[in-house]
Amino acid sequence: MQPKSRPIQRVAQAVSKCSAQAAIYGKCIVVDYNSVHKDKCAKEFMKLKDCYLAASKSSR
Amino acid sequence: MRNCMPPPCRPQQLLSPTLSRNSAARRCYAFQASGGPIIEVFNRRTKWLQKERAAGHVEQSRQADYLKDEVASRVCERLLDIKRHFPRALDLGAHSCNIARALDRENLDPSTPTSPPVSTKITELVAADSSEALLFRDADLPSPESSTMAVTRLVLPTEETIPFAPETFDLVLSSLSMHWINNLPGVLAQINSVLKPDCPFIGAMLGGDTLFELRTSLQLAEQERKGGISPHVSPLADTRDVGGLLQKAGFKMLTVDVEDIVVDYPDTFALMQDLQAMGESSAILGREMGALSRDVLIANEAIYRELHGNEDGSIPATFRVIHMIGWRESDDQAKPLARGSGKINLKDILENNNN
Repeated sequence: MQPKSRPIQRVAQAVSKCSAQAAIYGKCIVVDYNSVHKDKCAKEFMKLKDCYLAASKSSR
Repeated sequence: MRNCMPPPCRPQQLLSPTLSRNSAARRCYAFQASGGPIIEVFNRRTKWLQKERAAGHVEQSRQADYLKDEVASRVCERLLDIKRHFPRALDLGAHSCNIARALDRENLDPSTPTSPPVSTKITELVAADSSEALLFRDADLPSPESSTMAVTRLVLPTEETIPFAPETFDLVLSSLSMHWINNLPGVLAQINSVLKPDCPFIGAMLGGDTLFELRTSLQLAEQERKGGISPHVSPLADTRDVGGLLQKAGFKMLTVDVEDIVVDYPDTFALMQDLQAMGESSAILGREMGALSRDVLIANEAIYRELHGNEDGSIPATFRVIHMIGWRESDDQAKPLARGSGKINLKDILENNNN
């Protein structure tokens, strides 16, 4: 029997399908990482999260 | 004559001061009181639970032993330089007896093609750890037939007190466990005390910039998602601190050096899973309880990859291992001469050699 995959593995798998959005979000933070504040890259993160949610739904 | 006899209550009066003096002379834990108040950084119970749980998943725990096995064999390599036999050795913070396994491995010495395992130098190894499950994880596995070393496993109530009489051991080893100790100066002083004179302590601990990639990217992710940060990667001793600590504990002829081990992982989730399987999850007091939120994890993955990621898509994690060797003081050790006692000018010698 296949061992039940841990929730974190499902998250990892879903995130791995969103590398384009992750790169955009990462660049937004890293471009000026000395002045990061809350929701500095909220727009980019929401795109990443939308992609993640879609990916995690389709894999289920 | 009868009047000169001491009153009957006298012996009792005499008894009490002698008794108290005796008990004062028997105290041997005074060294723990040296130094300032102990600052608690790590939650010992959390750490113990993490190790017990990690050892409960035997297969995963064995798979995540790569770092400890590597460092243990590097610690044992340092033993090759000491031409001596050690009747009794202590492995403090033994995990799953990684050092005992490394000692039993043959041909550890790269300079000779076939060399006997280092364990032939040791008669008895006491492997001590606070986590019973981790310590006895591989106790059922047979040791190699060539091994002549007896391994005694000992479960400690806490790794911060070493329950042995002074001058018990000919060698103390420690690999990758001292970075979880709250009272490092106290433990080093105790190690010094359980060693016989002119005997070495060889240790390795994580320090300095260990996991700096994870530390920075988690800070950025939490700052951006939540607007504040909480500690997730331990504060660690720096290389120069370790030299000072060893000196303060009374060790002589110190050697401290640093090695960076960089491990590549497919993603941050794999890194964190492996840290958990090693029993090396965060156990800082005052950390945010519970798991990291999913948003922070997703943000962390993106930032880590962008900030530190390799070109081939993997992510590096740096483990900085501080190796230390210190010797218990003894009268027949070589000592530096007193300052100002030199008779020959070094400048003259160097200039003459050039001519």
